[in-house]
Amino acid sequence: MFNTLKIAAAAAVVAGSFIAPAVAEDKMNDLEIAHTAYTAGNLDIRYAHLALALSEDASVREFASTMIRDHSAVNDEAVALITKLKVTPQDNGLSQALVKGAAEKRAEFVKLSGKAFDCAYAKNELGYHQIVNQTVEGKFIPEATVAPLKDLLKSALVTFKAHEKHAENMVKGLNCGA
Amino acid sequence: MLRIRKIGGALLGAIILLTAACGNGAFAGETHQVVIERFEFVPATITIRAGDAIEFVNRDIAPHTATEVEGEWDTTELAKGQASRLEFAAAGTSDYFCAFHPHMKGKVIVTPQ
Ligand SMILES: [Cu+2]
Repeated sequence: MFNTLKIAAAAAVVAGSFIAPAVAEDKMNDLEIAHTAYTAGNLDIRYAHLALALSEDASVREFASTMIRDHSAVNDEAVALITKLKVTPQDNGLSQALVKGAAEKRAEFVKLSGKAFDCAYAKNELGYHQIVNQTVEGKFIPEATVAPLKDLLKSALVTFKAHEKHAENMVKGLNCGA
Repeated sequence: MLRIRKIGGALLGAIILLTAACGNGAFAGETHQVVIERFEFVPATITIRAGDAIEFVNRDIAPHTATEVEGEWDTTELAKGQASRLEFAAAGTSDYFCAFHPHMKGKVIVTPQ
């Protein structure tokens, strides 16, 4: 079953830095959830732009283009909802940890090229979507209180789960080894 | 593996992408619908008659396509709420997928009139 500590630990791995369990254990409010969900999407878009700049592999480039297209569509819906509700998303510890972790990953990735880059990107996409999906499903959806936000998160989760499967296939196809 | 079965190779070339100007009575077939929802084509397999049309409608936030596996026909990108109508003039079977999410697969079976 879902366990917030597990998510805290997993998020810390993705973030590449330790997050105090309190961050993930604390309930997040709707504005924090919106902020973190939006941030997670934006970070994946940034990874994708890096992949388009550095990879020559067709499967990696197609995946990256899909990440930009889909996460932009989901985040556009989020902006539309935020605008309609006249609210401002709230920065929080989890968003900050994700931003920090992704900056560290990008710094690693820019030093790579060819297959080493492709494999690092693909594996990170798989891990990133796994963690984000666990967090959206196990924390954001149950903790969100505003119905349209909950609905948007549910639709987003379907999208992100498709990405997770797609990333799995990409990793397999690249034959990166263990 | 995806495989395509063509009848006489004529099926796919005979598909016409209708423009917005159509609908004035020239079309004699029936229009069927395939809904793209939760990253699935529904129904995943559809059987129609030669001369019928299929309207592909995307209900997901994520853009999708319905693209014949060899690229013989293609709705091109469908954003949320968008639809594309394709007419299938000749009998045959074709497999299609989403060009953006390749694990999404569907099949169109066109029986003779
Ligand atoms: Cu798709």
